[in-house]
Amino acid sequence: MITVSSLTKSRAHVRVLEDVSLAGAEGTVTALVGPSGSGKSTLLRCLNGLETFDSGDITVGGHRLTPGSHAPALLERLRCDVGMVFQQFNLFAHLSAVNNVALAPRVVLGLSAADARARGLDLLDRVGLRSFADARPATLSGGQQQRVAIARALAMRPRVMLFDEPTSALDPAMTAEVLEVIVELARDGQTMVVVTHDHAFAKRAASHVVELAAGRIARQGPPADVL
Amino acid sequence: MKCLLIAVLIVGGMAVATAAADLDEVVARGELVWAADQEGGGPHVFPDPANPRQMTGFEFDLAALLAEELGVKPRFQQGQWDRLPLLLGRTADCVINGIELTPERQRDNHCSRPYFSYSLQLIARRDGPIDTFEKLAATGPKGRWRVGVLTGSAAESVMRSRTDLEVDVIGYDGTIDSLEQLSTGVLDAAVMDDCIFTFYADRFSRLRTVERPFAGGFYTILTARDTPRLSAAIDAAIGRLIADGRLKALYDRWDLAGRQQMLLLRDAGEVPVARQKSLGELCRDTVPLLIRAAGMTVLLSCLSFPLAVGIGLAVAVGRMYGPPLLKPLLTGYVEVLRGTPLMLQLYAIFFLLPKIGLALPALVAAIVALALNYSAYESEIYRAGLKAVPPGQFEASLSLGLSKWQALRHVLVPQAVRIVMPPVTSDFIALFKDTSVCSAITVVELTKRYSVLALSTGRIVELAVVTALLYLCMSWPLAMLSRWFEQRLERPAAGHGLTEG
Repeated sequence: MITVSSLTKSRAHVRVLEDVSLAGAEGTVTALVGPSGSGKSTLLRCLNGLETFDSGDITVGGHRLTPGSHAPALLERLRCDVGMVFQQFNLFAHLSAVNNVALAPRVVLGLSAADARARGLDLLDRVGLRSFADARPATLSGGQQQRVAIARALAMRPRVMLFDEPTSALDPAMTAEVLEVIVELARDGQTMVVVTHDHAFAKRAASHVVELAAGRIARQGPPADVL
Repeated sequence: MKCLLIAVLIVGGMAVATAAADLDEVVARGELVWAADQEGGGPHVFPDPANPRQMTGFEFDLAALLAEELGVKPRFQQGQWDRLPLLLGRTADCVINGIELTPERQRDNHCSRPYFSYSLQLIARRDGPIDTFEKLAATGPKGRWRVGVLTGSAAESVMRSRTDLEVDVIGYDGTIDSLEQLSTGVLDAAVMDDCIFTFYADRFSRLRTVERPFAGGFYTILTARDTPRLSAAIDAAIGRLIADGRLKALYDRWDLAGRQQMLLLRDAGEVPVARQKSLGELCRDTVPLLIRAAGMTVLLSCLSFPLAVGIGLAVAVGRMYGPPLLKPLLTGYVEVLRGTPLMLQLYAIFFLLPKIGLALPALVAAIVALALNYSAYESEIYRAGLKAVPPGQFEASLSLGLSKWQALRHVLVPQAVRIVMPPVTSDFIALFKDTSVCSAITVVELTKRYSVLALSTGRIVELAVVTALLYLCMSWPLAMLSRWFEQRLERPAAGHGLTEG
């Protein structure tokens, strides 16, 4: 489902990723760990084409990315299959929770407004927020916002979900409720890559752990071996 | 706009409070300040083509003779022609600028004895349909004839009073504007003092006079009502200039048929003084006209602003997300429209486009000019608005598979619209007031109508109050409307319809 081979990326003459190779099979959860600035987030953003790379090769959800800039059409197809959840949630501030979830199915997949809303309500139900369907993001807590963001990414029924430090902006109580949702997804067999600092969570949810240091893979293997 | 009206009220009050300078003050000062509009053009007062910083014209020479008679030096004061009488007692001692002697002018100011006889001449294109005055009595193939006149002139009031003619009278701020527009085919005819057309005829080779002049009268020098000794001195001076032949020589020098002028002046009859209208009559005669003009103000703003917002948004999006080649073009568009006055753009669209065969009706030209001018400002506001949307919103949209344009359409622009609502609302109010500039291209909106009526009735203060009330009646609901719109956008775009923005 995910194959990264010999990935290299420089930014302003500084190597941020150096010869990174990893693989994630369908239904596995890969945790990316390592100190700040080690290149975890950059690697994750390369996976859905938000960042380009200099050499190497990525295959994700059946789509192949090559060095240099990517064709917009390829990226749009890839991103339908690869969902992403951000550290800062990035919910659409002008839309209610359910419309945040329903927007992409309606606009990208062409679902009718009613079908898109039904899908949105189902997913909000799945993350425990059905009663907040018509609330604005600004009125929700951080944990609730991140759960809506997860529902929004799931609405495209992606083959791979990417999480970029999904709980770093949350307090412990909210962290727990978001991690609960992610663990639930892992149990359902969703293929995921999660950037995290939370080793306890990585141990609990991940099937494979990759530790980065200064842009290189320091160690990788089962959680019990790496952490 | 309201500021202007308040200013008019204050100035009106000041004019009452400060006494105008009478003869002794003029003599003590050693200068006779005479007002005219050099934009009004030849042969009256105009910049010398050989030395544009120097004025010339037969009235320029007349002012010099009069000052000499009073034993002082002449000093020229520039003013807009239809507003020259307002300068009396403030910055000017007298007005010498082809002011026609009429009952209304007799009522509002002191009018000197006549110094020049003018005739009203109909002018048309050589190849045009108007070859006799009679033709104006029946509608043409395109309906009523469009006839240009100078705003506030006798030509305007004579043509407006001719209800027997099938004409739409269109007032221009500049004397030869109507000749330009007649030349390019926007107008069917023009009416003006014959000496003006004679003076400019060479420049407009496509135009010609139609029949002999059909009406006429006399020019007078205006002075304030409360400077009787100055008024008497000017009358006496004109008398001496006529008696000793200096005025005839002056007119001969300007090719204005001096002998014929002297004969006409000798037999000039009395002109009656117009009666001051009662408040009731004033309201009955002016309020419907003011309300119609207010409608034009609303029409101009409500048609041009949505256009400005649409173009502005497109330009902003193009500059930020468009192809690289487009960006310098759009930046140029914004800088040119923002860096040049709205008035100039109006002139360009109304007076220059017809020269390349694109003659827009005044209303359309006004709406286009307002929309283009304001689109430059709106685009900058929207650019700021789009920049204010956090970058994560764009990334989140892309990561869901939206294309750049879908992200703009569904995520970035709707949020930017909400962010820029207050400045856009304030621009709408600014445009609402800027519509008054359109009077320069003959669109009669509220400010213009007010100024025309105030000058023709002499009731500056009363009409200012009515006009201010009309502006309030319009701006209040407009402010409410935009507040309502702002609140509507504040609510989550939601519900069952999934409608954004």
